[in-house]
Amino acid sequence: MTLFDLALKNIRRNMKSYGLYIGSTIFSIIIYFTFATLKHSDDISGLAETSKQMQAIMSASAFVLMIFVAIFILYSNSFFMKRRKKEVALYSLLGVRKRSIGFLLFFENIVIGLLSLIVGVGLGFLLSQALLSLLLKLMGLSLSVGFAFSMQAVIETVVVFFLIFLVTSLLGYRVIYKFKLIDLFHAEKKGEEQPKARMISAVIGVIALVAAYWLALQDLLTSSAWRILGLAMPLVIIGLTILGSYLLFNSVLVYVLNVLKKSKTWAWKGLNLMTSSQLLYRIRGNAKTLTIIATLSATTITAGGAIFGTYYNTEKSVEELTPFSFMWEGEEQDIDEALIENAISFDTKEIVVEGEVYDQYYYVIGEETFKKLTDSLGWDIENLNLNKDEAIMVDPFYDERLQDKVDTVVVDNDVKKVEQLYEEPLFNLPTLPGTTLVVDDASFGEIDGENATYQAVQVTDYKDHLDLSKELEAKTENFSSAVQNYQDTIEASGAMLFVGSFLGLVFLVATGSIIFFKMMTEAEEDKDKYAVLYKIGVSKKEMKKTIRYQVGLIFLVPLVLGLMHGAVALMAFSNLLQMNLWEPIIIWMIAYTMIYILYYVITVRGFNKTITQTVTQEG
Amino acid sequence: MEHLLKVESVEKIYGKGANTFQALEDISFAIDHGEFVGVMGPSGAGKSTLLNVLATIDTPTKGDIYVEEDNIAKMKEDKLADFRRDHLGFIFQDYNLLDSLTVRENILLPLAIAKQPAKEIEEKVNTISRSFGIEGLLDKYPYQISGGQKQRTASCRALVSNPKLIFADEPTGALDSKSATDLLESLSSLNEEHETTIMMVTHDAYAASFCRRILFIKDGRLSKELIRGMHTRKEFFQMILDELAELGGDGNDLV
Repeated sequence: MTLFDLALKNIRRNMKSYGLYIGSTIFSIIIYFTFATLKHSDDISGLAETSKQMQAIMSASAFVLMIFVAIFILYSNSFFMKRRKKEVALYSLLGVRKRSIGFLLFFENIVIGLLSLIVGVGLGFLLSQALLSLLLKLMGLSLSVGFAFSMQAVIETVVVFFLIFLVTSLLGYRVIYKFKLIDLFHAEKKGEEQPKARMISAVIGVIALVAAYWLALQDLLTSSAWRILGLAMPLVIIGLTILGSYLLFNSVLVYVLNVLKKSKTWAWKGLNLMTSSQLLYRIRGNAKTLTIIATLSATTITAGGAIFGTYYNTEKSVEELTPFSFMWEGEEQDIDEALIENAISFDTKEIVVEGEVYDQYYYVIGEETFKKLTDSLGWDIENLNLNKDEAIMVDPFYDERLQDKVDTVVVDNDVKKVEQLYEEPLFNLPTLPGTTLVVDDASFGEIDGENATYQAVQVTDYKDHLDLSKELEAKTENFSSAVQNYQDTIEASGAMLFVGSFLGLVFLVATGSIIFFKMMTEAEEDKDKYAVLYKIGVSKKEMKKTIRYQVGLIFLVPLVLGLMHGAVALMAFSNLLQMNLWEPIIIWMIAYTMIYILYYVITVRGFNKTITQTVTQEG
Repeated sequence: MEHLLKVESVEKIYGKGANTFQALEDISFAIDHGEFVGVMGPSGAGKSTLLNVLATIDTPTKGDIYVEEDNIAKMKEDKLADFRRDHLGFIFQDYNLLDSLTVRENILLPLAIAKQPAKEIEEKVNTISRSFGIEGLLDKYPYQISGGQKQRTASCRALVSNPKLIFADEPTGALDSKSATDLLESLSSLNEEHETTIMMVTHDAYAASFCRRILFIKDGRLSKELIRGMHTRKEFFQMILDELAELGGDGNDLV
């Protein structure tokens, strides 16, 4: 029996701790391979017209994913190595050279890597097929997809993970070289210095966060901050946010815990003292992890919120862009009467008003037409009675930041005062883009302009009439339809949506796993303390309470900060697109919090299990 | 005859700068082949530090430690590993067994590391386990056996490769008196029959009375030496107690 056999045996018997590690590497590989397959899939890249752009998005996402997966594996690897310190120390004590131990661990890691790659690619293949059909469904397409097995994706995955495993193996090797035998025998660490809250870092942290938020909420078009910083702006914002979060975790938490600990009435009650000390001693080391978690949470919330919000708003934006089910220029067409809710035939005149800087084109319609159209669209219009010198303007592209408000318009030498400005589109914009001027019917008759007839039709359940839309499109000019627009929007954003939701999901799972690993490491470190507590008569119930608090704080704090970051980022996002996204964003945040709470419950369970096992073994 | 272990002016200082603590101060002594030496002293006197330094687990700040010809205080990392493998055996208070291996596998670990042929390993494991009376437990796992049985397993592991020197750090510290007596008797008879050299750190006078010679250590210095000679174990036990009373005046800590 050689040392190698013993090591193999050890793997088999230690399947639980190995299982956790192998599981997380397989998980990472599945995720990455699935993504790589989708990236290289012809079906996907053929979908979007701007497939180059699509490829770019996919490549960028793959990069983000790669970094993420690397961090994740490094994390689980270091957790795994910690658990095996005793074994390694014993080998060393019994006279195995460090080089041999290093080689053993290196070899083991490579074997685990290879196994995970095989399993991961296999499962990833199945998952990618499922996701591919889901994606196509999400995009509202009924294409039949053959099995897309991409050799390119396999190669890419193998290369990426080979590199990651090489790095973790080398790191493991380094651990062996750094470790001193005496550490095993003097388990009690040198007394760590009690962390003190540094006021200055708290202040800098708050300032950094406020600055980041302020910058994020600056208007892209008018703010001088954007002019000065330009494209570096997002980086500055992200940098400030991360710095601010880190400093906050580092100082404010320490401060709060110190205050709590000093308050005797609170601290000297039950296990409060223990809980707060525990957290206090860990906080410095935890600040980094907490920052990572807060950043990941913020990213997930922002990406998810933006994606979900956009998807949620597709319908709304479609209805804004094409308020009428169908619109075209020319004569009426035969449409099944039963479908029609409203059909309006009207005339427009196109006029040119000479301006100081540039000429302005207007579509002019009569008051009667305006009433019919707004009636059909359900606008709430006050009793209209336009005089000869009055007019109404409808400009869906009006932006007060970019243009001055027009007060008067000169039409055929008549000065007309603009009584009212509507910013919602009155027509389907693809058919009739631009600004509309509404004048009284008498004036309309007199105006000299290029005359045209248009049809606007409203049907019930516009999304169900793609065939009709196609039929009409073939027969008419300047045609636009809500259903076609809807289809196009979904298709264009569908891939984006998918990439976004996929990444969001990955980040979500990974955030939870990182906290889980973190807490399980702490459980390993704390179990002796809990064993002592149990021996001096602390009930299991009380210990569980402490655990709930200890784990709870580590979960809660980054979540709060992540939600805050996410909320600000999404506010900026909705300002940028001038969409009201609050409803979907709040739904998404609630969903995220629910999933997060689920992680919390799972982690507390795991923590409890580790502690209870130790306590009952020794007690 | 040449000494097996020779310690010359060994010093160990922990910490740096103004914040230092001298754990060992100018320690010199020698151990011959076949001796069973106990190291005693009050808590914090430096017993365990001395053992760690001698056992190559820790390095001395100053001084030389010779095991026969080799100066282990000046040895390189890799050579030290080989040296531990070939010449040293360890028994700890908390056993340090691998939970995932059976008793048999735990015992044969040093032999496997030394790449000995399987047949020889089998034989040696059987012999040593018989002398500690655990031949019936070989296929059990550490969590299935008692503390005393675990310590005997650990002792078998320390002795199976027939090392020149065994270091035992409070081996009876976690055992009940029956298990402790069994273990000490086994060690003592191994020492007598096979001339295995053992150095044991303990603060238990009863355990120490199994030794042939006791080194007392106080505040990092060697303070006294006691030799059993022709005395019975009982007499020696009384001598140790008397010595401890004289030394520390505080017997509570020692018994």
